[in-house]
This record gives sequence, C-alpha cells and structure tokens, in this order.
Amino acid sequence: MIRFTNVSLVYPNSINTVIEDLSFTINEGEMVLVMGPTGSGKSSLLRLINGLVPHHTGGILAGDISVDGISTQSVKPGGLAHLIGIVGQNPLNGFVTDIVEDELVFGMESLNLPQDVMRKRVEEVLDLMSLSPLRNRSIATLSGGEQQRVAIGSALVMHPKVLVLDEPTSALDPIAAEEVLSILQRLVHDLSLTVVIAEHKLERVIQFADRVIYIDGFGATHIGSPEEILLESTIAPPIVHLARALHLDEIGLTVREVRRMTSQFRGKSIAPVPTETHFIGESVISISSLSLNYGNHQGLKRVSTEFKQGEIVAVMGRNGAGKSSLLRTIAGIVKPSQGGVELLGKDPAILKGYSRRTSIGFIPQEPSDLLYGQSVQEECTQSDKENHIESGSTFKILNDLVPGISPRTHPRDLSEGQRLALALSVVLSASPQILILDEPTRGLDYEAKSSLIFALKDFTYVNNRTVILATHDVELVAELASRVIFIADGEIVADGSTSDVLLSSPAFAPQVAKVMAPVPWLTVKDVVRSIDANAP
Amino acid sequence: MHPLTWWIWAICLAVASARFKSLALSLVVVLLVASVVYSRNEKAPWSQTFGWSLKIAVWVIGIRMAIAILIGVPVPGNTVFTLPIIPMPNWIAGIRLGGPVTSERLILTAHEAIAMACIIVLLGAASSLTSPHQLLRVLPLVIYEFGVALVIATSVVPQLVISYGRIREAHFLRGATKISFRKIALPLMEESLARSLDLAAAMDSRGYGISAKRSRYRPTSFTMADKILIALSLTTFFFAPLTLIAAIAPHILAQSFRNTA
Repeated sequence: MIRFTNVSLVYPNSINTVIEDLSFTINEGEMVLVMGPTGSGKSSLLRLINGLVPHHTGGILAGDISVDGISTQSVKPGGLAHLIGIVGQNPLNGFVTDIVEDELVFGMESLNLPQDVMRKRVEEVLDLMSLSPLRNRSIATLSGGEQQRVAIGSALVMHPKVLVLDEPTSALDPIAAEEVLSILQRLVHDLSLTVVIAEHKLERVIQFADRVIYIDGFGATHIGSPEEILLESTIAPPIVHLARALHLDEIGLTVREVRRMTSQFRGKSIAPVPTETHFIGESVISISSLSLNYGNHQGLKRVSTEFKQGEIVAVMGRNGAGKSSLLRTIAGIVKPSQGGVELLGKDPAILKGYSRRTSIGFIPQEPSDLLYGQSVQEECTQSDKENHIESGSTFKILNDLVPGISPRTHPRDLSEGQRLALALSVVLSASPQILILDEPTRGLDYEAKSSLIFALKDFTYVNNRTVILATHDVELVAELASRVIFIADGEIVADGSTSDVLLSSPAFAPQVAKVMAPVPWLTVKDVVRSIDANAP
Repeated sequence: MHPLTWWIWAICLAVASARFKSLALSLVVVLLVASVVYSRNEKAPWSQTFGWSLKIAVWVIGIRMAIAILIGVPVPGNTVFTLPIIPMPNWIAGIRLGGPVTSERLILTAHEAIAMACIIVLLGAASSLTSPHQLLRVLPLVIYEFGVALVIATSVVPQLVISYGRIREAHFLRGATKISFRKIALPLMEESLARSLDLAAAMDSRGYGISAKRSRYRPTSFTMADKILIALSLTTFFFAPLTLIAAIAPHILAQSFRNTA
C-alpha cells in the first residue's frame, strides 16, 4: 500500500539529513507504529506519506514514495485526499469549520461528492466514532478525546485506504486514549485500513502494532516486528523494562503475556518492600470548600484539601474534570466563587513580582508561553537578574537538567523536552516554595521524562519543597508522585498515597501494577527492590 | 442567517452612518448592533471580537480628539480654551502646535472620530456574528488561493485574542510586574504562525481546492429573512432613518422567521 524507495530528506538551511536512504513497504491492513526520540523526524516521515513534506514545508527529497501506486511527487497533497487521511498532532489547529457535522463533510465537499453520498457517509462515521450525540455541537466546546474522534472521523468519511496519525493520544486521559486506539484497531481488522501512527507513550499503543519503524535520531532507521525492535531499543514501555530487569527469556508486549511469564514472581515468597518514605513537613497550601463557577457550569465543587512540604502531589482525572481549574485557583489566576485558598498563609491572588516568584512557580501547558528571549542565554541572564542571583546560575540549572544546550539557540528551535527544561530552570532559579506543573509530559519522550522525574524529586526532597502536577501520564505518576488526588466532575473522589489510589482503579493503574497484581508494585524499581531484598 | 448577509448588513450600516454624519444616528446604530450581537451571543472564540472592536473604537476616538486639540488647525468659532503655542521650525510651516481650541473644531473632529469608530465597531460586529470559517465556506471557488490566505488571516485574529490572554497570564505567573509588548508579541507571533501553517496543511491534505466544483452538504441558501435584511440594508444608502430600522431588523426577522426556518 505504501512504498518508500531509497528515501532521503534534507530540510533547507540544515546540515543534518532527517531521513537517510529509507526503504520499506507497508501492506494493506497493517498497523505500523513509528517511534523514536523527539526531533528524530517522526512527524516528517508521517507527512512524507501524503506529500505534505516537501510540497508544503520545502526540503529536498530524494528517492520515491508511492501510495496505492500513485507517486507523491506527481500530485499535490490534496490529490491524495481520497486515499490518505491524516490527523495532525494538535487536531484543534487543523479544524476548518466550527460544527462537528460541518467538519466531517468539509473534505467531501472539496472533492465535490454528491449530496446523498455525503449524507450516508456522515451517518456511518457518526455511528462508528460514537459522535451522534455531538453532531451539532461547536467543536471548541468538546473535550480533547471528543475532538480527537472528530478529527479521525473527518479523515474516515473520505473512505481512505491509509490513515496517518501523529501522536493521537498525547493529550488524552487513559480512558479516552483507550477509546481512540480500540476504534483504530477495529478499523484495521474490520475494514483492512492501513494505519501509520507515531506515539511516545508506547505502553498505550505497542500491543496494537503489527510492525515498528524505529528512527534513532542519528539518521538510522530500523524496521521490524515490535518484539524484534524492543529487544534492542533504549526506548521501551515499562512492561519491557520489567522483562529485562527480571531477566526473562523473551519480552512480552501485552499485560496478559507478561503476566504468564512472571507468575513465579508473584508467589507468596516475595514480600513487597515498602517504598522509600520522605519527610513530610508542615502545610503550605490549604484549600477550604473551594467552588468555582464558569457561567452555569460548576468547575469545582466544594473542594477541601491540604498540601504539605516534601510532597509531590499528582492531580489526575479525565479531560475537563477540573484539574487545570484547581491548579489555576491555587496559583491565584482564577478567583474562586466560594471558599478560599491560603498559600503560605496568604491569598495567592495578591502575590506579585519577586514575592510571587519565590513562593510559587507555575509551568503552564505550553511552557513556551513563559519564554520571550531571543536566545537561551538571554532568557537565563534575564532570570539571573530578576532573582538577584549570581550570573550564570540559571544556565547551570538548565545544564544540569539537560546537558549540552548551546546558549545561542533560539528557544523556538529547542525540542519539546528542552523547552520544558528551559522554562523549568527559569522558574526554579527563583527557588520557589511551591512548584506547579500543568500537563508537563505532553510530547516528551522517555528520556526527557526521566530527567524531569529526577529534577522534580531533587527539587522536592533536597530543600523540602512542594510539587503539584496535573497529568494523564499514569507511568509518570507511578514513578514520581508521593500522593495522588483524583478529580471527577469538579469533586475530589480519591485522595491518598500513590499506590492506594492507582491500584484501586484498573484504568489508571500502571502497566507493572497490572502485571503484578495483586502484589502492590507500581514500577520496575519497586519489583527489583523487593526481589533483591528477599534474595537469599 | 447567511454569513454574507451579516457582512452586507454591517458594511451597509457602516457606510450609511459615515455618510449621514449624525452623531445621534451613529450612537443609536452602535447600540442596536450591540444588542443584536449580545442577543445572539454564543460561547465561541470569535464572538469576543466585538468587545475588542469596542475597545479599539474608544482608543481611536481618544487619539483623534487628542490630536485635534494639540495640533491647531484654525477653525473659526467660539474659543473654548487656548493652549500655549509651541514654536516650530520654519521648514514645517503650516503646522501649529497648540493655540486656541474652538468648539466648532471639537465638534467637527468628534463627528469624524465617531464615524471612524462606528465603522470599526460594525465590522467587529460582523466578524463576531459569523465565524470566519463559515464565511470561507460560502466563498466562490474561483478565488481559491485568496480564500486560503483569507482563512489563515481571519482565523488568526480571534485566536490571537485568546492566546494573548493566556500568554499574559503566563507572564503574571512568572512574576512580571510590568508586561511589555515585546514579551507578549514574540510568543504570540510564533504561536499564530505555527497554527496557521497547521491549518493550511490540514486544508491542503483534505483536498481543499482540488475539484473545480464544490458540492454543498447542507447548502446555506439565502432565505426570505436574508433577502429582506439585505434589501433593507441597501436602502439605507438613500434614506437615513432606514438605518435604524435595518439595525434592529435582525431582532424582528429572527422573531417572525423562527417557525419557518
């Protein structure tokens, strides 16, 4: 269905080849996963399939790419619209209309399909993607998962033979991600659709993939079955790390497989060692019966809780449950309708300037919102000056987080992970008492994630500070958080230690916990530690 | 209502109120239009543009009046107050800073400023009543390339407003006490550029402009209400009082055509 023949790609004004001499064939009805570190060229590879690269972005392409026998060099991307559906990284940016139903028909109208055909296909797709109740809704009001379904639906109405998706679940909560992926799998099996998907969160997609294209970021590309690729690669889901740590003969990709392989470890002979505990200090934030109304909608309903020194608290919940609202009220950007927040004994809304920087640091969903300098150097000097610290301190924090960033780089040219690190070092340079992060792991690869985990733990435990983060990333929470607050529909439904909360809900349990249940292990480290402690 | 109808309506009202140069007429038209915008208030990103156009209009009036007071163009009449005349070098003779300010001059400038502000507000109203995307979909395909440019331009503006708020908030969180234009403009430009490229890529890969003809899933036809409103709007060129009727017409038409539509 898709054939790459000796494809190489170079962007103008760049010395690195993004893709070098890549040849492969993807057959009809295959689900292929493209994986690799950020900035390795995954998105470029996906966009080569329908010719957006180089028709839309520029760049020099050598070799040939053909889809269903049509060479992408001979037609514009629009000429392949009936054949290839492409769903971008951020679906909201790609929506042309405002109403769900209009969005679904946009592509068909462009191809001048007759009205009766359109009507039939719209009904089909509304059913397939369970969008019927939303057909007249404004897209801007939908949740992230719903928007993603609309984006996939509007690609599917064209009856494409190939569907290309760039990180379709990165902004979704585990349940919404599951929905989207199971729909994709059904399409592959029922309609023999060819799906090419790029994703960082391997634990979500790997069990669905038939083959993997692994771009290592240095121009080399490996293609093979998921087992073959994951046996060698440094990028791997927790389940594979578990198999490696336990020295199993083979690796498994699904919880079911690995569970069968590891039955001997779940025996009664190994008592789980409790996780390391850290000193918990006094309360720094107290929230009392906090409510927040947006018009008729209640964002938060009588929420009361406390945050203490030395705690890393993960706020979890489905898209739109009120996680961001809670964080924003704590930071004092949103005024509560009822109740109040006390941050270090003060109302957070009155904090300004230096006193704000030293009490509370906030990393928004788009870390680049915080940055405005023309270079990393400029950004760092600025915060040295603002916080009256020795010049070069901020850059040192950055270099400890992610070594090797050139100070002359423009913040825009950094990768997602590097940009987050820069924003984080700017905020940390003021050494705030409390650090809040809103969805920090969107688009981060495993390496960037583990350096984030290290940095946050260091920040919290060395100086006895408090970190609060909202996230969908169960694996991150398992590795990082000491406490989890679970929000549903604006109310706190669970609040307790990480293992208690994560283990009580199957949807939000990390992979290792699913494999090792009923033994309460959350991460590979927990398992290894317990086994070592019990070793004779 | 057809998206084009809203634009024709707003442009006709703007032209009419500029032509008749009546302060009262302009103010009443703006009030009526505001009532139409707020009665159709949807929680969509683009409906905020009206509020912004009001703010810009106030600025325009303020700046225009300040210039009128400072730069003395001699208009004879009753002197309200006199500013000291600042001597200017010979080579810009003809421009005088300061000097007597007459009530005639103030009234004349106020008229001009309000007419200008009125046009801005009315265009703001049109863009908050119809989403730029809806407008694009009714454009004829002949102007495809132009249409792409237009959708990128128009979808950027309302979303800029949202992004602006978000970035300002981020700077407040970083503890900035004074938020300069540059600090906001850079991330803002970067983001809107990325967004526009994404949108253009998405439209391209979905086949926009590939077929010479474009079919309509649910044709947005000109209904009776549209025709009446356009006719009313056009007649405002000839007769000033009709402007008021045209401005309030959407309320009445919405009432009487609710059952048929």
